[in-house]
Amino acid sequence: MMTQPPIDRHDVELAALAAAGGRREFGELVRRHGSAVRGLLRRMGAQATLADDIAQDAFIQAFERCAEFRGEGTFAAWVKRIAARLYIKRVAKEARYIAEVEQKGVAPTVDQAGLMDLDEALKGLSEPERLCVSLCHGAGMAHPEIAAALNLPLGTVKSHVKRGLDKLRARLQPQSAQSLGGTQHVG
Amino acid sequence: MSADEFDPEIERLFARTPLLRDAALFNAQVEQRLQKGSRVRVFALGLAGVIGGVVAIRETMSVNLGLAAGDGVVAGDALGQGIRSTSLDIQSTIQGGLDQFGLGNLELGSMGGMQLFWIAAGALIVLAAAGVMKLSQEM
Repeated sequence: MMTQPPIDRHDVELAALAAAGGRREFGELVRRHGSAVRGLLRRMGAQATLADDIAQDAFIQAFERCAEFRGEGTFAAWVKRIAARLYIKRVAKEARYIAEVEQKGVAPTVDQAGLMDLDEALKGLSEPERLCVSLCHGAGMAHPEIAAALNLPLGTVKSHVKRGLDKLRARLQPQSAQSLGGTQHVG
Repeated sequence: MSADEFDPEIERLFARTPLLRDAALFNAQVEQRLQKGSRVRVFALGLAGVIGGVVAIRETMSVNLGLAAGDGVVAGDALGQGIRSTSLDIQSTIQGGLDQFGLGNLELGSMGGMQLFWIAAGALIVLAAAGVMKLSQEM
């Protein structure tokens, strides 16, 4: 009997086969989701090389822990969370990183060109805002989870996410943001 | 667009996979690392198995199956002699093999027989696990 090629299988099936040691099946998962994981890490602020290193580590870890994936969420989301945590660990090793970026921040530049893509828009956020927004909306982590992972107060994380989203909205939807601007920032 | 409307929009934007030109290279690198990890694991388990096997053989020889001193004579002298003779034959064969590899004088320090037994048993279990893992990978 011929076995179904990995390309025709669902992620959950592939993950189950990978959990039993199927490297070919896991290779298909890497092919499907590699760019998404790498993209998320870059959006979080990692340089391309570092992002790729961490993405590789995340996939290796995912392969070793494949049996833990039960298919409750998507496989991509699961690996993204692993990658996000690895990235946080990596930046936390640079002890003063979080504290420094808290103080420093990067002033967003106002783009007059109108609409732009997310990657460009993210460049206008400060590092903590970018990290928190990416963790929240890219890796699907909840605010308390982010606060615990980054060792920041919950209120600070919420502020970073809110300010980051406000800036993104202003950059991605300049006209809507302007028309809503007066009422959006209350509270 | 309100904040509530913008949140799902942002999630949609984040969900879009960027087109990375070196995706094939990345996939190959992950595959390479998986293979390397697998080889290292097989080597480590194999090495543990070999060490365990050597320890087990050495221990078998030093215990001499508990028969060398005549303890095996339980059901009769003839049976005892036979077992003893077989034991000595095996021992000399193994000793010859170990001498060939320069392990004839292997000393295992001050470890007691029971400790060595458990070490050997553990090593054999590891060896068996390595075999099962290798088989499962090849299936």
